[in-house]
Amino acid sequence: MIVPVETVLALSAILFGIGAFGFLARRNIILMVVSVEIMLNAVNLSLAGFSAQLEDPRGQILALLVIAVAAAEVAVGLGLMIAMNRNRPGAHVADLTDLKW
Amino acid sequence: MTAAEATFYYMAAAGVASALLAVTRKNPVHSMLWVLALFMHIAGIFLLLGAEFLAAVQVIVYAGAILIFYLFVLMLLDLPDEEAGPRFSTHWPLAAAVGMSFAALAWLARVQGTGAAELARSERSAGLPAVGPAQGSVAEIGVALFGPFALPFEIAGIVLLAAIIGSVVVARKQQAGA
Repeated sequence: MIVPVETVLALSAILFGIGAFGFLARRNIILMVVSVEIMLNAVNLSLAGFSAQLEDPRGQILALLVIAVAAAEVAVGLGLMIAMNRNRPGAHVADLTDLKW
Repeated sequence: MTAAEATFYYMAAAGVASALLAVTRKNPVHSMLWVLALFMHIAGIFLLLGAEFLAAVQVIVYAGAILIFYLFVLMLLDLPDEEAGPRFSTHWPLAAAVGMSFAALAWLARVQGTGAAELARSERSAGLPAVGPAQGSVAEIGVALFGPFALPFEIAGIVLLAAIIGSVVVARKQQAGA
C-alpha cells in the first residue's frame, strides 16, 4: 500500500464531514442530494482502503454494490424532484410545508 | 516521499478542496462541476489503492451517468432566482459543527490507527489463509461477482430495475381522474 490505511480513512472522514455539512446546511434540494453522493463516495473510499489494506477484493465488491444503490437512489430522487417541481416550482426545501402542522 | 505518495496527497488535497467548493458555491451548476472534479480525484485515489475496476466504474457511472443526470434535472427545473436567496439555512453553524466532528474523527484515525494492519498480520500468523490473492485484478473482481457474490449482484440488478420503473411512475404526468 502506498499510504497507510489511516490516511485513507482520515480523508474519507473529512469528505464525509463535508458531505454532512452540505446536506444539513444547503437549502436547494438537488444540492442536498448531491451532498449525499459526496458522503457515499467517502464511504466507498474507506471501503477501497480497507480492501487494499486487508488484500481482500470483498471491499471493492461492497463498494460496487454501494454505487449501484446510489444510482438507484438518484433515479428515484430526481424523479421525485421533477414531480414535486410540477406542483410547486422551485427547489427550496423550506417551501415544502404541506406535511407540517 | 515517493512519487506515488505525492500523487496521493495531491489527489486528497484537491478532492477535499473541490468538495468544499461544491457545498459552498452559490450557482448549482458550478457546484455540480466541482463535484465532477471531486469524483475524478476519487477515481485517481482508487487507482492508487489498486482498485482499477472501481476507478473505471467511478468515472463511467458516477462522473459519466449520475452527474450528467443531475445536470439535466438541474437545467430542466430552471431555477432563475437560485442565486438571489441565501444559500445556507439559518442553522448552518450547527451543520458546520457536525462536519467538524467528522474531521475530528479523521484526526483520531490518524493518531490511534485502526489496528487493521495488526489484525491482518495476526490472521496470517494464525495460519488463516489470505482471503484474496492478486489485489486489484479485474478478473478477480469478476470471478468473485459471478461466484460467491452472484446473489447480491443479481439483487443489485433488481434494485436498479425497480428504481427505473419507480422513477418513471413517479415522474410521469398524472392523467386527469386516474
